[in-house]
Amino acid sequence: MKLNIQDSGNTAVDTLSSSYSGKWEGVEGIEQTSAFIQLMASNDLIFVVLGVSLIIWFVLLFYLIRVDRNVSKLEESLKEESSDET
Amino acid sequence: MKVWKILVAVWMTIVISAGFLIQIPEIAILEQSARNLFLHVPMWFTMMIAFSMAFYFSVRYLNDEHLKWDRKAETATSVGLLFGICGLLTGSLWARFTWGTWWTFAEPRMNLAALAMLIFVAYFILRSAFNDREKSAKISAIYNIFGVTTIPFLLYIIPRQLPSLHPGAEGNPAFSEITAPELRYIFYPAVIGFIGLSFWIMNVVNRYKVLKERTTLSGS
Repeated sequence: MKLNIQDSGNTAVDTLSSSYSGKWEGVEGIEQTSAFIQLMASNDLIFVVLGVSLIIWFVLLFYLIRVDRNVSKLEESLKEESSDET
Repeated sequence: MKVWKILVAVWMTIVISAGFLIQIPEIAILEQSARNLFLHVPMWFTMMIAFSMAFYFSVRYLNDEHLKWDRKAETATSVGLLFGICGLLTGSLWARFTWGTWWTFAEPRMNLAALAMLIFVAYFILRSAFNDREKSAKISAIYNIFGVTTIPFLLYIIPRQLPSLHPGAEGNPAFSEITAPELRYIFYPAVIGFIGLSFWIMNVVNRYKVLKERTTLSGS
C-alpha cells in the first residue's frame, strides 16, 4: 500500500509559528550520553561554535600546507630540469 | 615546510581555541560577540601591514626597476585586499547584530573602508590594462604608492573626526583603556597570528609567481 505522508492527519499543524512538539530531541537524554557530548552541549553550545571554527581553520590550513608542498615540489623539479640542461 | 610556518599553524590554533574558551566580562549590546575583537580587528591590522609592505616594495621597484619588487608588491597588495575584504564582511555581520543593520551610509568608517578596498581593486584593473610588463610594473608602483598613502586618512584620520557608532570616533582611539584587559591577552596574539598567516600566504603566492615566470619564459 502506498503511504502518503501528506495525508497522515497532521497536515493541519502549523509548523511555521509553533514547533512540532515541546520535546526537543537535541537535548533529550544528554545525561545518558558520553562525556564528550555532554561537554559540547554545555555553556549554551559555545563549544559547537568552537568546533565549527576549528574545522574551517584546519581545512584551510590543510589546503595551504598542500599548496605550499606542491609549490616546493615544483621548485625542486624545475631546479633539476635546469641543471640537466646546462 | 619551514619551522615558522608550523609555528604559525600551532599559534593560530591556540589563539582560536583560547578566543572561545576564555571568560569575557559582560558588555551590554556586544555580549559574547565581543569575541569578534579577536577576528575582525586583526583583519585590518594585517591589511595595514600588507599594504605597508606593498608600499615599500613599490618604492624599491621605482629605485632599481627589478621585476622582483613588482612581483612582491602585487602579492602584498592582493593579500592585503583579501584581509580587507574579510574585515568588511565580518564588520558587516557584526554590525547587523549590534547596530541593527548590515550596512549604513551614516557610518563613515564603514564606507571609507569600502572606498579604500575599491582603490586597491582599481590597482589590479590598472595592472591588467598594460601588455608591456615593465610599463605595467612602473605605473602600478606609482599608483600603489598613492593608494597606500590614502589608507591612514580613510581609515584613521577622517573617521575619528566624525560622529560614528564604530569605536574610535570623535577623537577617541578605537582601542583604549575601556577595553577589558582579558580581551587584550587574546587580541595581541591574534594580530601576530594573522600577520604570520598573511606572510605564509604571500610566501606561497610569490613562489608560485616565480615558477610561472620561469616556465612561461622557457616555454616561449
